[in-house]
Order: sequence, then structure tokens, then C-alpha cells
Amino acid sequence: MAEMNIPEKKGKGGKRSKKMSTRVDLTPMVDLGFLLITFFMLATTMNKPKTMEINKPVEDEKKDEKEVPKIKLSKTLNLMLGDNNKVYWYVAPDEVTSSASVEMDSVDYSSNGVRQVIKRRQKEVQEQWGNKEELFVMIKPLPGSKLKNTVDVLDEMTINGVTKYAILPPRDQIDSLVAIQVGQKRK
Amino acid sequence: MPKVKAARKSTNIDMTAMCDVAFLLLTFFILTTKFKPQEVVEIDIPSSTAQFPLPDRNVMKFDISKDGKVYFGVDDQPTRMALLDRISEEYKIDFNEDQRKAFKTQELWGMDLTKLPEFLSMDPFARSTFKQSGLLLDTVAVGGQHQVENLITWARYANPDLRIAIKGDKNTEYKTFDYLIQALQRCNVNKFNIITSERRATK
Repeated sequence: MAEMNIPEKKGKGGKRSKKMSTRVDLTPMVDLGFLLITFFMLATTMNKPKTMEINKPVEDEKKDEKEVPKIKLSKTLNLMLGDNNKVYWYVAPDEVTSSASVEMDSVDYSSNGVRQVIKRRQKEVQEQWGNKEELFVMIKPLPGSKLKNTVDVLDEMTINGVTKYAILPPRDQIDSLVAIQVGQKRK
Repeated sequence: MPKVKAARKSTNIDMTAMCDVAFLLLTFFILTTKFKPQEVVEIDIPSSTAQFPLPDRNVMKFDISKDGKVYFGVDDQPTRMALLDRISEEYKIDFNEDQRKAFKTQELWGMDLTKLPEFLSMDPFARSTFKQSGLLLDTVAVGGQHQVENLITWARYANPDLRIAIKGDKNTEYKTFDYLIQALQRCNVNKFNIITSERRATK
């Protein structure tokens, strides 16, 4: 306690030394305390940044073309990330014939855009193959897209429960066609 | 008529309790604080629903600024020094004692490795305001490898537990990011983390 009770002697005459108050004014100390608290509160980084883990397949130069796992293209969904926050999606046909057509459209990254595309595709795969987990999403960022686009799309994978996806370079022939069609740089 | 006087109360408040609280909180903040590392460039990180926290130590960090410059940093000092030894050995650069000390405290840097001695001889203030040019992403250097790959390999050699964290500005072009990933993959690093800020999923 800042105050101490010193019993006062009464009477009895005699010389008394002048009593100094033992109360200390703690206000400046409290001020100082809070000033320092404020400083440390502002300087501290309370919430740690979160990270998104990305696993890329091990690149093996010796790998033969034949060993590459083949996926039926009708199970896939291609998402090409372009500039100006646009996603170009298409579903490639299993076999390229003269009558084969590729459905293609551009959407944005909002929950009404790319998410609806993924959901619809999941439904289609569900109907065709009986399991929506079969859907394989190929994410192909074009050089002009922003990092946030990639992060957003990877996020959509988590949100929609897509378990099979890969980030690939846009090397496919259809990719080139789409990129040329929409006027995006590929290199 | 006599006035009714309210009993006067002392305006003296005992500050001891408040003081106690203040210092208790102060102690807490002093102990839990971890200062924000000095940032070379301002980076606006993308947000995601990812929940995995960034590890406390053993992190090799790449910062990619908005204009596509890449900066590099290793968080623990022994690894930094081992890396510097390796750089001086392979690139035939001699670092004096002051430069070594400067490198030890440099959290993040990005430039042509041959320009390092010049940068490290600057005084601390000049160093913090110096416009760094970013790592050279596609130049062939010692042994047909490029500098970023060398850095990755040597840092991992000095500390095999290093995890790779990439902190990119959300408006960085994918191209730069791709360069970096390719460099990492050539060094057989296939697993890395992108630093993001937290966001709630909107179903």
C-alpha cells in the first residue's frame, strides 16, 4: 500500500521531528505504465499470419509419357486465370473429333462466378460418374494473372471440397486457342 | 438557516491497485511481444481461408513485391552466417568483420550477390532506405546455376529443417511467382507455403 499508518504520538510534549507524509503519488507511475503498455500493444504482432500449403508433384525428367496418369477429360474442369480478374473455364472433350465443341466462358472470382462453375461441374461429374470427388480441376494461371487470383482459386478448391486439383502451365492446345481467343498473353 | 453541507470526501484515490494492473499488463505485453521484422517493401498479402499458422522458426522467406522484385531472408542467424560463408567461398567475395555483422542482422535483402559487399558496408540507416534491386531470377552464375537456386540450395544445406514461405503481394503478376516456383522445383523443393491473411469462408 502506498500509505503507511504511522501511529501518531499524542501529547507528551517533547520535541517532535516534522513528520513527512509517506504517501507517494502514484499517478505518474500509472501514466508511465499505460504509456508503455500502449507501445507494446502497438508494436506486438498478435495474430500470426496463416499460410497456404502448396505441394507440387516431383518433377522427374526420366518419366515417360506413358507413365503419366491418364484422366478422362470429361472428368476435368479447366480454369485459366487471366488478367483483369477473369477466369476462363472450359471442359475439354474426351476425343477431338470434327464435331466436338468446347464450352467456354469467362467468370469472375466472386461466389457467383467461379464457385458456381465448380459446383455445376461437380454436379455433372456426380451424375456421370456417381461421385463428385472424381472431378479433377486443372488450374492454369496465365502470366498476366495476379497472385491473389491463384490464391483465390485454391481457396475455392477448399471451400467446395475439390480434392483433386493441380496447378499446371497452360501448355495444352486448347489453352493456346482459348488464350488467343480472349487476347491473353501466354508467355 | 444553516446550510446542509454534504460531507466532503477526499478526492485522493488510491492509485496502487491501478498501478498494479498497469504493470501486470505491461509485463504480459513485454513477454509476449515479438517485434515486426523490418520490411524492405510494403507487401499487401492476399487473404484466404487457410488455417495453417506460419512456423516460428526455421523459415526461409521470399518476399515478392508488387512490381515483381524478389527478396530473400532466413530467420536464424547461424544459418545466415553459414550461407554468407558459402557465398563468399563460391563467388570469391571477401567479407570483412563489419560486413559480416551487418549481414547477421539483415532480415531481408534482394540484389545481385556480387553487389552484397557494397550494400553491407553502408551504415544501417542508409541500408534500410536503400532501394534494393531484387534477386536476379534468371541469370546464369557459378556452375551454370542461377543465384536464387544457389541461395535455396546453400541455405537448405546449412539448415535442412528450413521451410519455405512465400509472401507475395496480391497484385504481383503470376509470372514472377512462377519463376520462383520453378527455381524451387529445380532445387527439389516441392512443398512450400504462401503467406496469407485470414478470411472467413463465405458459403
